[in-house]
Amino acid sequence: MKIHKLLLTITLLASGCQKDFLDRRPPGELTFEEFFQNADQAVQATNAVYEQYRSFDLAALSYIGCTDILSDDADKGSTANDAPLLSDLDNFTMDATNPYVAPLYKGHYRAIARANVAIEGIAAVETMDETLRSRLIGECKFLRAYSYFLLVQWFGDLVLVTKTLQGDEYYAQSRQPKEAIYAQIEQDLKDAAAVLPEKDGYPASEKGRATKAAAKGLLAKLYMLKKDWASAEAQCMDIINGGKYSLLTRYADNFLPVGENGTESVFEIQTVALETQQAAGPGSSPYNMVQGVRGVPNLGWGFNRPSDNLVSSYENGDPRREATIIYVGEILPDGSTQVKDNPEIINERYNQKAWVPAHSGLQDNGPGNIRVLRYSDILLLAAEAKNELGKSGEALPLINLVRKRARGTNNFILPDVTITDQTQLRERIYRERRVELAMEQHRWFDLVRWGRAETVMTALGKSFVANKHEVLPIPQTEVDLTSGKVTQNNGY
Amino acid sequence: MRLFIKKALLIPLVLLLTGMAVMAQTRVTGTVKDGSTGEMLIGATIKEKNVNNGAITDVEGRFVLTVASTNATLVVNYTGYTELEIPLNGRTEVTIDLSDNNNLINEVVVIGYGTQRKSDLTGAIGTVKAKDIEKIPTASVEQALQGKVAGVYVSPASGEPGRGATIRIRGTGTLNNASPLYVVDGMLLDDITFLNPQDVASIEVLKDASATAIYGNRGSNGVILITTKQGTGNTRPVVSLSTSYGSQSIARKLPLANAAQFAEMYNELKGNNYFPDPAALGTGTDWQDEVFQTAPMGNIQLGVAGMKKKFAYNVSGNYFNQEGILKETGFKRMTGRFNGDYAVHKQVKIGANLALSNELRDNVGGGVIGGIYRIPPVFAPRDSTGDFTDPTFFGQSIGNPAADLFYKNDNTTRVQRYVGTLYATWNLYKYFTLKTNFGFDRRNERFYNFEPIFEVSSSQLNNLERTTRDTVKERTWLLENTLNFDRAWDKVRIGAVVGQTAQEYTYFKRNTVNEVLQPNGEQRRDRAMISYLSRVNAVFFDRYLVTASLRADGSSRFSRDNRWGYFPSAAVGWNVAQEPFMEGQKIFDRLKLRASWGVTGNDKIQDYPSLGIISDELYASFNDTVQPGATLVNYANADIRWETTEQTDIGLEFALFKGRLSAEIDWYRRFTYDILSDLPIPDYVGSGSNPFVNAAQVENTGWDMTLQWRESRRKWGYNFTAIYSPVKNKVLQLNEGKSEIFDGRTAQGDFATRTIVGQPIGAFYGYQTAGIFQNEEEIASSPVFGNEQPGDFKFADLNGDGKLDAQDRTYLGSPIPTLTYGFSAGFDAFGFDVSADFFGVQGNKVVNAKAVARFDTPNWETLWYENRWTGEGTSNTVPRVTNGGHNYRMSDFLIEDGSFLRLRSIVLGYTLPKQPAKKIGLSHARVYISGTNLWTRQSYSGFTPEFPNDSVFRAGMDFLNYPMAKMMNFGLDVRF
Repeated sequence: MKIHKLLLTITLLASGCQKDFLDRRPPGELTFEEFFQNADQAVQATNAVYEQYRSFDLAALSYIGCTDILSDDADKGSTANDAPLLSDLDNFTMDATNPYVAPLYKGHYRAIARANVAIEGIAAVETMDETLRSRLIGECKFLRAYSYFLLVQWFGDLVLVTKTLQGDEYYAQSRQPKEAIYAQIEQDLKDAAAVLPEKDGYPASEKGRATKAAAKGLLAKLYMLKKDWASAEAQCMDIINGGKYSLLTRYADNFLPVGENGTESVFEIQTVALETQQAAGPGSSPYNMVQGVRGVPNLGWGFNRPSDNLVSSYENGDPRREATIIYVGEILPDGSTQVKDNPEIINERYNQKAWVPAHSGLQDNGPGNIRVLRYSDILLLAAEAKNELGKSGEALPLINLVRKRARGTNNFILPDVTITDQTQLRERIYRERRVELAMEQHRWFDLVRWGRAETVMTALGKSFVANKHEVLPIPQTEVDLTSGKVTQNNGY
Repeated sequence: MRLFIKKALLIPLVLLLTGMAVMAQTRVTGTVKDGSTGEMLIGATIKEKNVNNGAITDVEGRFVLTVASTNATLVVNYTGYTELEIPLNGRTEVTIDLSDNNNLINEVVVIGYGTQRKSDLTGAIGTVKAKDIEKIPTASVEQALQGKVAGVYVSPASGEPGRGATIRIRGTGTLNNASPLYVVDGMLLDDITFLNPQDVASIEVLKDASATAIYGNRGSNGVILITTKQGTGNTRPVVSLSTSYGSQSIARKLPLANAAQFAEMYNELKGNNYFPDPAALGTGTDWQDEVFQTAPMGNIQLGVAGMKKKFAYNVSGNYFNQEGILKETGFKRMTGRFNGDYAVHKQVKIGANLALSNELRDNVGGGVIGGIYRIPPVFAPRDSTGDFTDPTFFGQSIGNPAADLFYKNDNTTRVQRYVGTLYATWNLYKYFTLKTNFGFDRRNERFYNFEPIFEVSSSQLNNLERTTRDTVKERTWLLENTLNFDRAWDKVRIGAVVGQTAQEYTYFKRNTVNEVLQPNGEQRRDRAMISYLSRVNAVFFDRYLVTASLRADGSSRFSRDNRWGYFPSAAVGWNVAQEPFMEGQKIFDRLKLRASWGVTGNDKIQDYPSLGIISDELYASFNDTVQPGATLVNYANADIRWETTEQTDIGLEFALFKGRLSAEIDWYRRFTYDILSDLPIPDYVGSGSNPFVNAAQVENTGWDMTLQWRESRRKWGYNFTAIYSPVKNKVLQLNEGKSEIFDGRTAQGDFATRTIVGQPIGAFYGYQTAGIFQNEEEIASSPVFGNEQPGDFKFADLNGDGKLDAQDRTYLGSPIPTLTYGFSAGFDAFGFDVSADFFGVQGNKVVNAKAVARFDTPNWETLWYENRWTGEGTSNTVPRVTNGGHNYRMSDFLIEDGSFLRLRSIVLGYTLPKQPAKKIGLSHARVYISGTNLWTRQSYSGFTPEFPNDSVFRAGMDFLNYPMAKMMNFGLDVRF
């Protein structure tokens, strides 16, 4: 305490100017009122939305638990005793207090809140480049739509928050019908598609930001969910005819560092392992760690075990199986190590698509981008939409494009599909989707969308209850905190 | 109102400028003697109140003093005796009887911004004297307070060396930081860990609003005034030395399954014979024995007090060293204190109270205490090759506690703290005294942790050598200017004070790992407060007492609109025993009625609660580089305002049988509204943290009763004291239109508490068990969640709708004791003294939350082993072995009785008689042996049913803490 400060205070007291003495702001930090003054801050607020998707809540056990593990693609994995409540998702015995459901709900609403703050704030920045302004708002709308799209598939009806809530609104919200959520997603994605640049419209330093095609791709997925086949087809064909995307020559390259943001990549959650002494660096995600080989080599926790059912779903010789699954005894893709048997796990397998080569930092400094939307996904959606519209002839070249690439140079496998019967072709497309996109967190949503969750999961002996397990339970704490204004899903 | 106060403040300034008046002087003579023995007291100090001229009694107990007038008041002090105030009332010769404690009429107590005769008090104030504190060998003043004052509930945070305690005065008012305000020699503090209990002369606990309202903004949770030992009036310095040494051990262990029991249960869990022959495993490892130890503690204090010319001083130094009952933990503290005052002029005195402390706290990282609860007893700490055993097979999250102790023990926190006040008093004119008080608190903390590279298992490892350093710097200053008026007429005495204060606090923290500044590694915060205060108390005919006070506070925590709070109080008292009609009666030595009402405030929450602070370092990765990100993550509440408490108190005090029996009985009602709390908000809001809100209205009603029987003769004496404080806590209203507030999550994510109108705050809430499902038929015919198997809990379908869901949860008890009580007894004869203190609480429940683990529950408590379900008809109380899930839902199974009664201390001492002591050059010599926490009666299965908690919304939940220690100490006190 400096003496002049003391004297100053005495003077202040004597003159009655206490106002300044009592006006305190956090030293060295900005308050909300001081934010959104310039373009830099607009960019930072947008970046902060992206950051949320690398969090443990959104990129680790809950994410794979409520997608792959829930579906017939994967079992819980790891040792039997590790994270037993994750098995409840695998077995459909979860209840409203399951600790792996709430993080998704919480995490995505936090992403939505950040997007809302950014959308409101960026619009209010007094002077900034208008192209940048609309692009940033477009990115935030895309991300908000992405979060709502996942949430609506997981939970059904939702509380719809499209602005920063004020204190008196905190407890007052109730769930809106999922159609209202669809409408919001559709609006956000249309707005985003209108202003976002194409992939090549970004400078190299901005590689990985949401693009026009990403918005259109997600919009296509929304229309598929709504069974609005024509609209879905239109969005897909826009991307396909745009000519900005193509399949990589080698399927497996999609999941290696070389495939990140490649010609086949439409949208990825971007991560990077920077040199760091800390466990988790500033650009990393835990996605790779939680699915990494457990034992020797010690790459992670070993969750998300590709299931027996997935293994048997591939056609003979399909190279995609090898590219999707790491088996005991296999040499890792970079040729570094052979995977040893772990005596604590029976018949272990790992998700090869989440494997990353040696990187700086520890396991949780994961550098692997999380692939959200690939061009082959778009091709298969287009094929599916066309088939549903009775245009099976137009669907065939699209599905065969995917099969041809998978086949590589081996012409004895994966022959072209020639069936034109709508029902039969539907089955082929469904199977193609499964194996092409296996372990990429799409399968569960496809099963529910196709209305097949009950048949498939019951056949596997899971205690699936129809009209209940198609959606997850709303976290009980949310129902409690709103005294039931947020209702629980049927059966939970 | 503010304007008025400001004008009032100008008066002393004017007086300052116009100088002083000339005063007449009077000579007073007298003697000072011990009231019970009649022995003349040599070296007692006699001072004129508010003026620093003093005298000391000679070998015959006589003194001569020149005072301003025959209306002056004398203040008499003698080591070991209660301070006395004697109004001359025209006399020039007085005989003063000092007495050990019986002379309650003229006893002086410290009140906010002044002192007052105890008989003139209108407020409820509890007093604890030095000798009651010295009995408990602890480094913390708070811990020494347990069971000493009615209405004060002290729950030790843990047995961890050097830790303070949670103190609640008169129940739980706020939902948030309910700790009282500490005022040490005039410095306002929230944390007094620097204070050495042996430096404390007296503690005054201000309980009702008449007493606390003068601290307005910070008085809501009660005020604890601490006065440290000042210089004595002796010209010959008094040197005192006290030392103690002792040992501590864990007061109570957790009942956990042994290896054979564990193996048997594990086989049942897995439905296989993983352990082919459980019985062969025997008891296995008792992990509690592996990590807990019998630990020594020691303390030495050396002090010198005296007076040289006009300079009174007290200097002391202390070294306290306590090893922890958990291995690799400990606490060392060196404290030094200098208290001095000097009469610069007849009317001017300057003084200082300075304390410095240097602490070193040894910690151990990792979750050692959590580890011992969960690690299976089938492991030895190390395997046959000497490596630490790897327990992860039984659960990813289990580490080997012995390895944590070994690898993570290089963990220390050093704290340097300088706390003090510098003051000057100026007797401006007769009855007016101006005081300027400057207080400061500088705290520097350095945390150091080094973790070597090691690997015990895939989840208990460290791949990078890591040195963590945290530096925290906290600075507080306080400036107070007060003007006191003190005048006694024949029939009337008036005391008044007006003042202004300002306070500022700054905080800085820096965090590095391997000398690299971490993300968000630097934090700064500050806050400030400005206050105006005033109080008048008047005494008419020695029996009619009136007090009124008003304080205005401005807090930087709130927005401009909500910043100022006004805190008035009023009180009346009636000393019935002084009435003429009571003259001649032999029953009452003292009989007083009093009543008070007042308002206090509370702003003790995080800084800047009304400002949304932008979080940065939210990096986004693009093109394999990172770009900075920043946004509003944690929402604020711009409308946040003061929490306010209105308190009414009605009290009765009396003394009978020549003061042998005395009692103080108070009834009170504390009504707290706009309670500040960071209540959970729904996740859809998307805020990263819960903003503080003005949440609810709560009422505490209760009684504080103290009953004392004390008899003191020349050669022997005895005393018995009982305190009894029943309290009822009830929520009156929830704000923001809410009908219920949930909080207190168990590891499975369930809420454990629900607060609703009409129930206590933070009441436990969950399912009611209705036995165990014995077979499939029973499950099929009962409402179920859906995954139940035989052996699982059957929960009651309370709303009778035929299905089991969240609607079937119910009130399961309150974490707030309905009664706290204590009693102590002492006896002394022929130099020997023996005393014992008991303390207990009743009527509260606790949640055995540690039993609910995040991922799995690898070890089980013995109770579960003995009573578990193993097949139809085997048990209807404890379910089959599971780890997590259905049986761990928040239910009455996890609720236990929180009542306990503890023998807090028992002391046996011997004091050498005065004559033989004098022969060997000592004025006082005492040896003692003391035991602390030696006996406790509790039904709770954990270490102790008292847990530290940060909010009453989530109180009474046991997440495993450092266990309670019992101690035996041997000590010696001498004075030269």
